[in-house]
Amino acid sequence: MQSSQLFLLQTRAVAQRLLLEQWRQKRGLIFWAVFPSTMMLLFGLVYAHNASMRAGLDAAAAGILVGAALFFSCLGGTVAVIAAERERGTLPRLLTTPLHPAAYFLGVVIAQLLLAVMQVVMLYSIALLIGAQYRGSIFLGGVILLLSVFSYVGMGFFLGARFARRSEEVVVALSAIGVPLLVLGGTFFPLEIMPQGMQNLAQINPMLHMNQAFKGVAAYGMGVHELRFELTFLVVFCGLSLALGVQSYRHLLGGNKSQ
Amino acid sequence: MTTALEIQDIHKWFGSHHVLDGFSLRVEQGEVVGLLGPNGCGKSTVLKIVCKLLSLDAGQVLLMGKPLNELSYRARGLVGLCSQDAALYPDLLPAENLHFFARLYGLLDQDRQHRVAELMEIFELEKFANTPVGQLSGGWQQRLHLAVSLVHRPKLLVLDEPTAAVDIEARMDLWRLIEGLRDSGTTILLTSHHLAEAERLCSRVALMRSGKVLAEGSVPELLSRIPGRAVAKVQSEDKEAVIQRALDLGWQFRQQADQIRLLLPRAVSLREIVDALDGTQVSAVSVHPVTLEDAYLELVGGSS
Repeated sequence: MQSSQLFLLQTRAVAQRLLLEQWRQKRGLIFWAVFPSTMMLLFGLVYAHNASMRAGLDAAAAGILVGAALFFSCLGGTVAVIAAERERGTLPRLLTTPLHPAAYFLGVVIAQLLLAVMQVVMLYSIALLIGAQYRGSIFLGGVILLLSVFSYVGMGFFLGARFARRSEEVVVALSAIGVPLLVLGGTFFPLEIMPQGMQNLAQINPMLHMNQAFKGVAAYGMGVHELRFELTFLVVFCGLSLALGVQSYRHLLGGNKSQ
Repeated sequence: MTTALEIQDIHKWFGSHHVLDGFSLRVEQGEVVGLLGPNGCGKSTVLKIVCKLLSLDAGQVLLMGKPLNELSYRARGLVGLCSQDAALYPDLLPAENLHFFARLYGLLDQDRQHRVAELMEIFELEKFANTPVGQLSGGWQQRLHLAVSLVHRPKLLVLDEPTAAVDIEARMDLWRLIEGLRDSGTTILLTSHHLAEAERLCSRVALMRSGKVLAEGSVPELLSRIPGRAVAKVQSEDKEAVIQRALDLGWQFRQQADQIRLLLPRAVSLREIVDALDGTQVSAVSVHPVTLEDAYLELVGGSS
């Protein structure tokens, strides 16, 4: 069997397994669906209720999707996957197989992407019902979501490999590192009201660029040309994420080797 | 006979702790070799090095004639590992676990379907086909774990205390399955705390202590190194008297914390022992032909 064929087979196996596990964990699946729906519903109702805020509803929907729903499901989900592999003892077993680190990483990306698509459908169904609008190119929005999921999974690998050794530590790791990223990503406050130092720091936060890119397309109908800086940043960050993911997998191997 | 695994004078340090100190071992194809030794003697470290879960600090390991460090990650398929803790996905069904690992090793559709069905049948897992693995008993999980480690038809099966975490009944079942693998020509390297397990399953045994092999050979070969054909275990209020009687009769003895082991030059009945030790205040005595446990105590330690 050729290496590329094995790589694809392994990627598919990992994605399929993760989706199957997600499907079997019914309770987790319900929480996963309830969280973005409730958030969109509550924020949407507040925005719709106040006439002065109504104009911001489109941007709020985009921000809730990229800055909150995908953050918790893709980044949090990836950290949980790594922690679970450790806890169940399946990590050493995976490390004894010819599973390529990049195939494992891409398998997680595909599984998270499929879950993200379902979250997008759910969240935007509610948003549109409340009165929000999606103004730009669906294709470009899809590309930005793909880049965002890829980046979140990369960060999730890093957090999971370095910080979350047990399931209980997932929440702590997410809070300690994820919440500052959310704040500096402009999820809760616009960048403009932050002190200059925070604004400068926010520029290296990938979440800011995900937010700005998706809000640009979804809420303001911007195109590739207007979003070229954000898109370039995200493409570069995706490359870094893949490297980070593979390196983190190797770190897991190294961690195991030093036992 | 072709050599499946050759470990040449390997060393491993964990900080200042010298875990493996010139460990060497050869496993021929079709052999079942057991690694026995006390806790912390380095058995599991050897297996982890063979499975590329640990790197070695000095020495060399040849797998199917090729240096382990020169083999690509795809060569991991040469080895199958089954440790004492069943490392499986609890939300998946048994066959789904098998399919997942089969795909990681590159088994394509038809071959994979066939292999999974074959293993489900051999390991009698069909009756739990619709039960998530997390709901299976420890023994059945370990059965599946063993099946998973064989799904890619490895050249060498590595078993790290495979029956340590299961009850007696499940242990017997696993022994039967491992015997079946042995009889079908599977090459196996196993560690165990159960000397009876090694005696029953292994064609050759290596006795380890402090990171090196102290003695190695088939079970009959190891037994032949004991200066006796039978062993009498004696408990007495007057140990000195028992020892003196043994010396008078020309029997060797080994003193342990609460008993004396007499190494008898021939099979002796319990009646003869009782008569021979008459007047030495014996409170309990048993006699049995020499076993691997006796060889272990004699060659690795545990008696004085």
